Amino acid sequence: MIEVRNLSKVYQSGEIAVEALKKISFTIEDGEMVAIVGPSGSGKSTLMNLLGCLDTPTSGSYFLDSTDVSKANDDELAEVRNNKIGFVFQKFNLLARDSILHNVETPLIYAGIKKKERKERATSLLNKVGLADRLDHNPNEVSGGQRQRVAIARALVNNPSLILADEPTGNLDSKTEAEIIDLFHELNSQGHTIVIVTHSEKVAQQTNRIIHILDGELVKDEVVLG
Amino acid sequence: MILETFIIAVRSLNSNKLRTLLSMLGIIIGVGAVIAIVSIGTGSQQQITSNISDLGSNLINIDQGWRHRNSSSTEFTLEMAEYIELTSPAVKKVLANLEASGLLIKEEINLRATIVGTEGYYQEINKYYPLIGKFIDKAAVDNASDVIVLGSELATELYGKQNPLGQKIKFNYNDNNFVFTIIGVMEEKGRGITGDLNDQAYIPMSTYMNKLANSNQVSGFIAQANSSKDANEAVEQIEYFLSKYLGDDDQFRIRSQDQILDTISSVTESMSLMLGGIAAISLVVGGIGIMNIMLVSVTERTSEIGIRKALGAKKRDILTQFLIESLCLSGIGGVIGVGIGYLAAYLISNIGGWPFVVNSLSVMIAFTFSLLIGIFFGIYPAMKAAKLAPVDALNYE
Ligand SMILES: Nc1ncnc2c1ncn2[C@@H]1O[C@H](COP(=O)(O)OP(=O)(O)OP(=O)(O)O)[C@@H](O)[C@H]1O
Ligand SMILES: [Mg+2]
Repeated sequence: MIEVRNLSKVYQSGEIAVEALKKISFTIEDGEMVAIVGPSGSGKSTLMNLLGCLDTPTSGSYFLDSTDVSKANDDELAEVRNNKIGFVFQKFNLLARDSILHNVETPLIYAGIKKKERKERATSLLNKVGLADRLDHNPNEVSGGQRQRVAIARALVNNPSLILADEPTGNLDSKTEAEIIDLFHELNSQGHTIVIVTHSEKVAQQTNRIIHILDGELVKDEVVLG
Repeated sequence: MILETFIIAVRSLNSNKLRTLLSMLGIIIGVGAVIAIVSIGTGSQQQITSNISDLGSNLINIDQGWRHRNSSSTEFTLEMAEYIELTSPAVKKVLANLEASGLLIKEEINLRATIVGTEGYYQEINKYYPLIGKFIDKAAVDNASDVIVLGSELATELYGKQNPLGQKIKFNYNDNNFVFTIIGVMEEKGRGITGDLNDQAYIPMSTYMNKLANSNQVSGFIAQANSSKDANEAVEQIEYFLSKYLGDDDQFRIRSQDQILDTISSVTESMSLMLGGIAAISLVVGGIGIMNIMLVSVTERTSEIGIRKALGAKKRDILTQFLIESLCLSGIGGVIGVGIGYLAAYLISNIGGWPFVVNSLSVMIAFTFSLLIGIFFGIYPAMKAAKLAPVDALNYE
């Protein structure tokens, strides 16, 4: 469960301070599928980085499964990212020089899991996203849609409760976008909480709930009626 | 976990082989140079040492001291050889140095040569024997015969491939001509500390004193101690006798072969120490090269670091990954450097003609040093990588 209270983020660059998030508060229950929408520069990525424990808030608190992670140190945050969160990025962010299999194994290495089990789990997930025959390829040898599938397999490999996707279909065509969103639906039905930042009205409409952000403030929290 | 990090690091080095090799180059050259230089130093020193001890480490040179040249003072005389033998129990035998420089004349050829007046014992002392014919023997000394033994170089220059035995040769000294019959030619002998023996000729000491020089003054002595262990004692006894006999310590100078050896060793040692030091500096420069490459690598791979952190890598994981990379660079570079050092030392010792010896201590020191350099110059880039904030690293363009 995600519980955000008066979360603020100020970027200080020299004299100029940019208030990217202004005392934002909301709660996301386990098993929800939420879209975050808003115009460019409204603070969506800033929010996602905080939710993903990639960055720390300037003020406010963030409870993830009832622990206050806004007060955790770097190594504790790394552990939270490793155990509880799976990331899917717009730019895929795969390790370019490693094989697809190895990319998916990487979170398990940092979790301290043995080679044999790593390989089994990574292979079975790549199988699930339809890339069983590409294990030894490098990411640059497959298409954009396939890369995002690799990223999703990687996000899932540690069986995290929360999956954060910042414009996961931003670099994909609409057919591939539909396939990826289907994949997210499937994961959501298996119990993963999913938060997607998107510019696509169509994608947003396929979730359960849409959080609207404008100038760093939550302006509308609507429930989507399927 | 360390093993996994190690694999990650090796894979990343492997994916850019040319750069990996280039960044190792400094270490390779540094380690190679240290090993080669120390080996060349030890090898050539062993060569010089064995040349000198060929002459016998129980030999002692006695020269006239510096004051002799400035003031009228007591000359060395032949009898002193006997006196030294009698008064110094540690001394087995004393030979006088009787040397004269003049022209050897055979028909139209004439050659400047040093003629040494000596006796049969000269052979044993210098471990230097005739190749053909015989050396000056007791009969020749007793009769003051007009016989001569040529050094190998003199023989070839004067007679080429002809047999010189039995031939007569003239020696011009102080505007007088003396005629000698050749009775032997010496074997070839490498240059020792006493200079080139191959262009000397030998006549009986009695002939030298009675006919050639007409005096019993000698320039110095070579004393042979009973054994090399006795050499120091012999030096003391000779010193004691000479200072009493000549009444002045400045009239003479005594050096054992060991002392000469020590001087030469300390010279070559400080030589190779200095060169080794220069090589060690190149090792440090190699380390800076590694740091440079690692810093570039960290900047270049900022987004990789960001991704790894997003996936759960802790500071420690990133730190060890980059540290292992620089350690591998310096370690592998060190191993290659050891190989190249061996090869270079081997080739150069072959060319220089001295024994091929590699000091295993120098190998260990050079290799350990290269690893230390890997850690020292790798730690800063690795810390820089480990400290990157995940968001900043991920968004780095
Ligand atoms: N590292 C940073 N330093 C300074 N300002 C920043 C930084 N990151 C974001 N900002 C500012 O914070 C505000 C919110 O940025 P953010 O990236 O969260 O927007 P966004 O909603 O994700 O936009 P987009 O839809 O274009 O991705 C912007 O005004 C942006 O310029
Ligand atoms: Mg954004």
